[in-house]
Amino acid sequence: MAAPTKSTPKDAQVMASILKDMGVTDYEPRVINQMLEFTYRYVTDVLDDAKVYANHAGKKNIDTEDVKLAIQCKLDHSYTTPPPKDLLMEVAKHRNSQSLPLIKPYTGPKLPPDRYCLSSTNYKLKALKKPRLPVGLPASAYTLSSPKIITSGGVSKNQPLNLASMGGTSLSVVSKGVSMPTVTLVTKQGTSSSAAAMPMPTIRLTTTPSQSNPLKRKAEDDDYDKPS
Amino acid sequence: MEGNSTETRPQAANGASTNGSSTDKQTLYAVLQYLRKNNLKETETLLKKEANIQDDDVPKEQQSQNASEVSQALAAYKSEGDPSLYEDFYTNLKNFVEQSLDTYKGELAALLYPVFVQMYLELIYNGHEVAGQIFFIKFSQEQESYYEDDLIKLSTVSKKEHMQGNQLMESFRTSRFVIRMSRESYTQLKRYLQEKKQALLLNIIQERLFIDVYDGLPRTKQQIDVTSGGMSGEARREANKSKVLYGLLKEPDINISLDDDDDADGEDKDKPKKKKQKKDLLSMKKSKNDPNAPSNTRIPLPELKDTDKIEKANAYKEALKRVKITQENKPSICFYTLLNSYENTTSIEISEDSSILSAGFSDAVIKVWSTTPNKLRCMKTGVELDMIDKDVDDVLERMMDDRTASEYKTLCGHSGPVYSTSLSMDKNFLVSSSEDGTVRLWSLLTWSNLVCYKGHISPVWDVTFSPHGHYFASASHDRTARLWATDHYQPLRIFAGHLSDVDSIQFHPNSNYIATGSSDRTVRLWDVLGGNCVRILTGHKGAIHCLRFSPDGRYLASAGVDKTILLWDLANGTLVGQLKGHTGTIYSLSFSRDGSVLASGGMDNCVKLWQVSKVFNSQDSEGDLNVPANVDLNENYEFGSYQTKATPVLCTHFTRRNLLLASGPYTPS
Repeated sequence: MAAPTKSTPKDAQVMASILKDMGVTDYEPRVINQMLEFTYRYVTDVLDDAKVYANHAGKKNIDTEDVKLAIQCKLDHSYTTPPPKDLLMEVAKHRNSQSLPLIKPYTGPKLPPDRYCLSSTNYKLKALKKPRLPVGLPASAYTLSSPKIITSGGVSKNQPLNLASMGGTSLSVVSKGVSMPTVTLVTKQGTSSSAAAMPMPTIRLTTTPSQSNPLKRKAEDDDYDKPS
Repeated sequence: MEGNSTETRPQAANGASTNGSSTDKQTLYAVLQYLRKNNLKETETLLKKEANIQDDDVPKEQQSQNASEVSQALAAYKSEGDPSLYEDFYTNLKNFVEQSLDTYKGELAALLYPVFVQMYLELIYNGHEVAGQIFFIKFSQEQESYYEDDLIKLSTVSKKEHMQGNQLMESFRTSRFVIRMSRESYTQLKRYLQEKKQALLLNIIQERLFIDVYDGLPRTKQQIDVTSGGMSGEARREANKSKVLYGLLKEPDINISLDDDDDADGEDKDKPKKKKQKKDLLSMKKSKNDPNAPSNTRIPLPELKDTDKIEKANAYKEALKRVKITQENKPSICFYTLLNSYENTTSIEISEDSSILSAGFSDAVIKVWSTTPNKLRCMKTGVELDMIDKDVDDVLERMMDDRTASEYKTLCGHSGPVYSTSLSMDKNFLVSSSEDGTVRLWSLLTWSNLVCYKGHISPVWDVTFSPHGHYFASASHDRTARLWATDHYQPLRIFAGHLSDVDSIQFHPNSNYIATGSSDRTVRLWDVLGGNCVRILTGHKGAIHCLRFSPDGRYLASAGVDKTILLWDLANGTLVGQLKGHTGTIYSLSFSRDGSVLASGGMDNCVKLWQVSKVFNSQDSEGDLNVPANVDLNENYEFGSYQTKATPVLCTHFTRRNLLLASGPYTPS
């Protein structure tokens, strides 16, 4: 609003005259600062990109073409302009050619299919007790008395699952087989050292348990969530 | 083509002076370019052979044309004209207009702006930047004031490279500027162009402008001013020719209990009179077939549920108690002021039955208030709902959990300022649009976000529910408006055609048409069935922020940045009224329930009342498309103006009984 006096820096004066040229007459004085900040950031970004392109082309100095390319890429990336009118008319013609769908009566609140709605839960339920479900394991694991666990630290054979030694990493035991459920064990970042304070891992079972697998193990042996 | 004719050609084409083989060659190249443009391949090869021109001699500009359509069409701007001639041509045209008879002057003066723009663009395209600058500075001040914004944008195009990215250029290129002219003025113009042999001007006028000639009296400057202002001129006659079914849908038969239980009227002699009134209203509702009304099945509409029927019955009862508003009997106004919103409020909306007020804010929340003593309640959880008896009459009451009752509820979900909200007729849904490009559907029973409709990628300025529910429409920065249904995650219709962002959108009372107002200063009416534009209404001199249909569906009121309210007759797309008086942008309009009074409010902190029944009654039943807008500019229809302290009026709403509600955020400066 206040015209910049002689003491304001040249850039600010230039910005004020740009605003005047574009027909903006009524603005708060802070707007000039904001515009200058934006301009500075934009120009440095473009020049940085132009430098990259110049380097890529093996040129020592930045060329106008590099700058043009940099501006073009920035434009496509950040400032999406509305699509050109011809494209819009084309799309509109295509969409408008389909007749309006009929409305089925007596269907309660009319909403799109569930996956397009935001009506599903945004939480998971945590199991209170360990699930008594038979869990199948690959055949190779049956040579051992306990499940083979692949951890970041290495394979531990014949060792009951000692979560304390994991040091708080999250491990996943994925046992896949014929019609077997996948069990994903997720341990939370534990209160590290003490083996006694064992966080209860959440067990997420993604498929229903199978019944007919002869290689099933009994549920009592599956003490994944208890310290050994 | 023979050898001698190629030599005579350059001489004939080079009308102006200059000798020298270079100009001959240039004109030869120009001829070759022309042939190539029009796909006259054989002639081209013959000419090349005769004149001994190799392919690579032809100037590079023609060959290095990239596939982009824009540059191909922009090449049409290429002309061999001498830059200094443009100024002369324009000045000559100006003089011609000045010297023409007064009857024609107004219409011919309308030519000056588009010719100026096209000449400037040609100069810039051909690289004559300095000449272009001089031309622009010399003549831009003389153009009409309402083109000022466009001229500012045009001034930023000072080099050829600027032209390709600029949206305004594209619109000037694709849509030919339309000027409506009477036949007499047109013959004057033609005579002038032919006499003076102004090839350049003729070229521009033929290719870039569209002169819609009509048989009738020439219009005066005043009349032209009223309908000009659109970014690409006025509307062609064909644009407004199709029939618009503006009547209301036939109301279904509803058994209304005639006993008035809530309004105990002690006097016996009033009762028989009241009963007669009710009967009359009912018999009117069983209307004869209105020829101008669409059939009830033209577009699929949801069926009426029992709750809707009860609501309609209530609406009839309320309508009976409606107060008649006249100049002597002015309506009472109840103003809801939003305090402490610190200039955050972006939109306010009141539901049809006036019980709910919803406001959108720039911090991306929506707040919903109840205007009645009934608080807003949330629906019970599923477990509790299972336990209630579903056959009881007041099941809808029992469904709501009183423990959650509160005066207002907050809805969070958007990630940008909420520019508009709209409530459905059955008050179950609220739809909101935001700067983040999404439209969200909220349930007013569970107060949660149900669906997020992603289709627009740019800010959505306005959204509105259909009066029959199920459909809603949105208007966005990407120059389109879209029609959605609550049960489809993609839009059903895309209304493309505006040249600039679509700022406001409104459904017709029969839900078959949608009106949109845009920053290109035109209002368009679209048919929902086919998605085509059936009316283009020009006359506004600034962006249009608010639209309202009259309750009978025949008229449309529009208002915006230019501080005037324009009233349109939809039957033929003509302007019937112009209401001036506001001193700030108008953001809200509302018709009274009987359509006789219009209330408007805006940034000048003022609510104004206009007696529009006078405007409508002075119209003939059938307007004439050829006759220009018969607008009486002298009469003042304003009969009430109410100033608030420092509160811009963002919403006005007449209740069913014609009480005026208004709302705005208190913004002390």
